[in-house]
Amino acid sequence: MIKIGIPRALLYFQYYPMWKTFFEELGAEVVVSPPTTQTMLAQGSSRVVTDTCLPVKIFCGHVLSLVNECDYILIPAIRSVQKRVYNCSKFLGLPDMTRAVIPESPPILDTDIDVNKGRHRLYYAIYQVGRYFTRNPFKVKRAGQAAWQAHLNYRQLMSHQGLTPMQAIGEVSVIPEVEPKTSSDSQASAQTTIALIGHPYLLYDEHINHRLIHRLEQAHCKVLTPEMVTTEELELAIARLVGRASWTYEDEVVGAGEHYLQSGADGVIGIMTFGCGPDSLMMDMVHRQATRLGITPFMSLTLEEHTAEAGVITRLEAFLDMIQRKKRRQVAVCV
Amino acid sequence: MRLAFPHIGNIYIPIKAIFKGSSIDVVFPPLTSQHTLSLGVKYSPEMACLPFKLTLGNLIEALELGADTVVMPGGAAPCRFGYYHKVQESILRKLGYNFYMITQDRGIMNMMKQLSNGASLWKVITALRFGLAKLKALDELEQLVHKIRAIERDKGEASRIYREWTRAIDNAADYQALNQAKREHLQKLMNLPTVSSPAPLKIGVTGEFFVVLDPFANMDLEIELGKLGVEVRRSIFARDLVSFNPFIYAFGLREKDRSHKAATPYLSRHVGGDGWQSVGEKVLHARDWDGLIHLEPFGCLPEITARNIMPSTKEWLPVLNLIYDEHTGKVGIINRLEAFLDMIQRKKRGRVAVCA
Repeated sequence: MIKIGIPRALLYFQYYPMWKTFFEELGAEVVVSPPTTQTMLAQGSSRVVTDTCLPVKIFCGHVLSLVNECDYILIPAIRSVQKRVYNCSKFLGLPDMTRAVIPESPPILDTDIDVNKGRHRLYYAIYQVGRYFTRNPFKVKRAGQAAWQAHLNYRQLMSHQGLTPMQAIGEVSVIPEVEPKTSSDSQASAQTTIALIGHPYLLYDEHINHRLIHRLEQAHCKVLTPEMVTTEELELAIARLVGRASWTYEDEVVGAGEHYLQSGADGVIGIMTFGCGPDSLMMDMVHRQATRLGITPFMSLTLEEHTAEAGVITRLEAFLDMIQRKKRRQVAVCV
Repeated sequence: MRLAFPHIGNIYIPIKAIFKGSSIDVVFPPLTSQHTLSLGVKYSPEMACLPFKLTLGNLIEALELGADTVVMPGGAAPCRFGYYHKVQESILRKLGYNFYMITQDRGIMNMMKQLSNGASLWKVITALRFGLAKLKALDELEQLVHKIRAIERDKGEASRIYREWTRAIDNAADYQALNQAKREHLQKLMNLPTVSSPAPLKIGVTGEFFVVLDPFANMDLEIELGKLGVEVRRSIFARDLVSFNPFIYAFGLREKDRSHKAATPYLSRHVGGDGWQSVGEKVLHARDWDGLIHLEPFGCLPEITARNIMPSTKEWLPVLNLIYDEHTGKVGIINRLEAFLDMIQRKKRGRVAVCA
C-alpha cells in the first residue's frame, strides 16, 4: 500500500479530513507527522534562511520527520481558493522551496490549486494527484466528491457545534460522540469569553503558542476561535472593515477579529508570528479597529522561536486581570 | 483635484509629464529623504516592509503640500503590496487628513478613468506618449551610465552628468527638447576620460522591484558599485511597469519571461512580487555575469522564498543578499560589497592561474 505523508503543519488544520478521505478512497495509507517538538523546529530552522517565518520552519521540521516514513509527501501549492483572492507567497512556493531545502525528501505530490484558472483546471489538478494511484478518472472523481463531503462535514462540526479543529479531526476519524459534551460543559461554567484570532496553524499548534488554549481554559475562560463563526458572518465582517478580501486566509484574522470585537467576546487576542507579511498588515487593521471602537480589549501576541513561555503567561495574566477588573467595574456601575 | 503619487526612483518624471500634458494638477512630494523615512516609520505597523514605510512617508508629505487625491497602485496580489492601500488609507484618515484614494482595486481601466478626470481622450493619449518617451529616455540613460561609471577615470563625473541629464529630461517640454538633452549630454558622457585597465567585473542587480529601482531605498547601490569599478547589469527597469509590445509578449521575448523560463526547473510557478525572476536571473546569467546582488526589503515574502531556492540551482554564480530596512547603514553595505568583489576577483585570478 502506498503511504502518503502529510506534515502536521500549515494547511493540515484546514484540510486534513479532506486529504485523508481522498487518499483513503484511492486506497492509500495516510501518515501524519507527530505533533511539533523543539527538535523538529531546530531541524527545520537549520534548513531555511533565517528570516523565513516560524510556521514554515516548523513545516520543514515536519517534512524532515516524514523523510523515511512514507513513499510520497503531499505539499500542494494552494494559490487561490476564492476568485481574485490570493494566498501568501510562501504557500505558493512551498513545494519548490521544500524540494530545494530538503533534497532528501520523498517525491512531492505537488499540484496547483487555483480557482481563478477555471473549473476545468481545478479538476485537472485533482486528477493529476489521483493519477499516482489509479488511471480511472471516475475513481478519482468519486474520491474527490467523498473528500469534499468530508470537508463540508468538518466545517459544519466546527461552525455549528463549536468544536476546535483538533476535536473535530478527532471526531471525524476516531471517537464519534464523547468530545463535544465535555467542551460544552466547561463552556457553560466559564465567565470570561476570550476570542482567539489568527491562522489555525498558530492557534492549534501547542508548541508554537505555548498551550495558549489550554491555559485560557484553566483560567476558566470560554475560548472562541475563528472556525466557530460561519463563513457568511466572516464575509460580512470583512466587508464592513476592509471591503473586499485580498488574502485567502483574511477571514481568520480580519473577519474573525471584526466579528468578535463587535460581538460576543470580552477580549480578543490576536496571534501572529514575527515576519509574517500578511499578518503584519491584517493584524494592524484589527488593532486599529479595536482602538476606534473602544469597546473590546485587544492584545496581539507575536510569537517566534525565541518567545519564552513565561513571557506569554505574564502577558496573558495581565490581559485577563484587566478584563476582569473592567467587568467588575461595569457591574458596580450598573448596581 | 490635486493628485499625489508616492515616489519610486525617477518614475515621477514621466508621471509628471503625463499629467501636466493632460492638464491635471499633480503635487509631487519632495524626493524621498531621511525625513520621509522617519515619518513613514513613525506611523507604520512595526513589521511592514520598507516600501510601505517610504510610500506612506511620501503620501504624508504630499498631503501636507495640499494634495486631495492620492494614487496608490495595488490590487489583488500575493505580495503585501496589494494590501498597502487599505492600511495606508486607514492610517492617513486617523492622522486627520481628508482625501480621496484611487487604487487599482477595481481594475486598471477603472483606475485610468478616475485618473483622467474628464480630460479629452486625444489629450490623454498625446500626453501618455510623451510620458512614455521620457520613461524610455530615462531607462536608456541609466543603462548607459551603468557602463560608464565602471570605467571613468574621475569617479563621480558620470553620476554628475546623469543628474544633469535627468533634470534636462524632467524640464523638457516637447520631443525636440528631449532630443536636444540627449545630444548634449551623450556627447559629454562619451568624452569622459576613461581608465584602460582590464575589463570591469559584470555584476547583476536583481530582487524586489521597489528596492532595486529606488536609489534612496538601496542607498545608491549602483553609484557605489560604479565607484568600485563594477559594471552593473540590471534587467528590472521602470518601463517594465508600462511597456506593452504585442510581439515581444506573444513570443515570450521579454527579459522577464526568459528568466521565468530559466527558473522553471527550480521554481515552477509565480510566487508573487519578483521572486520568480530573481531565481531565474541567477540561472539565466550564470555564464555571462561575474556575480549577482540580490536586493530585498526585510520581510519580503516572495524574495525569502527565492532566497531559499537560489542556493540549490545547478548553475553556479556567486550571490550577495542585501536586506534593507530602516536601520540599514550605508557603510555596512559598502563593506559587504567590497568583500564580495574581492572574493569574485580572487576566484577569477585563481581560475586564470590554473588555466595557464
